[in-house]
Amino acid sequence: MSAPHPQVSSTPWAIDIDHVGKVFTLDNGESLVAVDTVDLKIEKGEFVALLGPSGCGKSTILRLVAALEDPTTGRIAIENRDPLSLSRQHRLGVAFQDHALLPWLSVKNNIALPYKVAGRPVDHERIADLLGLVGLKGFENARPSQLSGGMRQRVSIARALILNPDVLLLDEPFGALDAVTRRHMNVELQRIWGEERITSLLVTHSVEEALFLADRVIVMSGRPGRVVKSIAVPFERPRRPEVQRTAEFHSLADELTLALEPEEAAAS
Amino acid sequence: MMKIDREKATDLVLGVLGIGLFLVLWEVIGAYRLAGLTWPKLSDVLAFLFEPSRQGLFLRAMGASFSMVAAGYVLGLVIGIAMAALVHVINPLRPGMDRFASVVNAIPPIALAPIFIVLLSREVTGMAIATLNVFFVIYVATTSGLQSSTRGHRDLFAVIGASKIRRFMSLDMPAAFPALVSGMKYAIPAAFIGAILGEWFGSSRGLGLLMVSAMQNFQIPLLWSAVLIASTASLLAFGAMSLLERFVYGRFR
Repeated sequence: MSAPHPQVSSTPWAIDIDHVGKVFTLDNGESLVAVDTVDLKIEKGEFVALLGPSGCGKSTILRLVAALEDPTTGRIAIENRDPLSLSRQHRLGVAFQDHALLPWLSVKNNIALPYKVAGRPVDHERIADLLGLVGLKGFENARPSQLSGGMRQRVSIARALILNPDVLLLDEPFGALDAVTRRHMNVELQRIWGEERITSLLVTHSVEEALFLADRVIVMSGRPGRVVKSIAVPFERPRRPEVQRTAEFHSLADELTLALEPEEAAAS
Repeated sequence: MMKIDREKATDLVLGVLGIGLFLVLWEVIGAYRLAGLTWPKLSDVLAFLFEPSRQGLFLRAMGASFSMVAAGYVLGLVIGIAMAALVHVINPLRPGMDRFASVVNAIPPIALAPIFIVLLSREVTGMAIATLNVFFVIYVATTSGLQSSTRGHRDLFAVIGASKIRRFMSLDMPAAFPALVSGMKYAIPAAFIGAILGEWFGSSRGLGLLMVSAMQNFQIPLLWSAVLIASTASLLAFGAMSLLERFVYGRFR
């Protein structure tokens, strides 16, 4: 699927995180450097995973790109524009670890929420297509409380995709799921993403998830958060689950694990 | 499933037993004059209450009181929700409004009644006190309910570019609904207290008037009948709101 807002840009980057730092002032007056100068360029249609231990500032970067926070230093541009103006134009899609579905709305109405927020007529065909894509046909009128954890995340991903966003932001979307469901959801997301090919930023602490889903994996260290490694993932798309059992996958996973745990690397 | 049903059945049986025990005690205390002459048997009160010649008297009193209760309830509900919505949208107003509501609630209604009688009329004083009581309960419930959306939901609405009004309509209001319905439940006895108290201050109609005049003329069965009507009505309305509350909690949370 082609991008819904084709435009000529002066820089080739879909997301340009330009020497961005974020300092939080704590209640006791101390300041906490959550993100130290991070410089990251993401191409249009590229899927980038931010990998790091908890508290390394990877979620902060995603929140900065989502215009939920302002950078203390540096600047962020999405398609050469301020993230806030994109969010105001309803061109960002987001899925959080907490599925954030509205419990009083049916599955269908939860997915339709961005239409209402954008003041656009609800495209029922698009909703039906997306429900099929995330494998939830027949659950249109179910309530979130009637669904399993994995199904709720599928709804949340369908909602993120409904307006054909320019950028898809995924903050540990499967972090609260059990290992088996999580692996299954990764296979599903890989397939869904293959159909839509939206510029995507995934935050995760799972090496396998990052490797299986992304075109590029960025490893961050905490605190303060900074980029310590960046590797391109060579596997062709569409990726089959079997790719996770190849020797190449294992050696890349080892490399990323070592980058995550430099102390262990130094000791061995 | 069976187990839950059995638990429910046990609850129901215990509840019915408890109410039955209460009614039997009432009858026994009355029959043996254990609490003196002013405690009649339940059967005497019921016989008095359902005596056909008094139907008109009770129906008129009920009509007068319940219309005051209902008017005060609706008025308090509307003002409470409107004020809570206003201070939610225009946040700087909130501390002032919070304090005003607390101060109004801290004044005993009995002290305000004479002022209402002078300002309004004797007939609507009960409604005015009911409105004040209901307003406070609803205002407190709604303001806290409007802030009960989760951080995840607020983040979502921000990222997908929701305007303040849209967020209010699609997130804050539905999220506040369970708290509002709980408030509506507790506002029911508050409305009854207000309306009946108001009628004590010289209203020309209503259950409150019936109670005061029965007490002064030592018409014990009439007094108890009026109290029984008011209590039963309040409990029934409270029970209905409890059912609504259960439904809303199941659906909105």
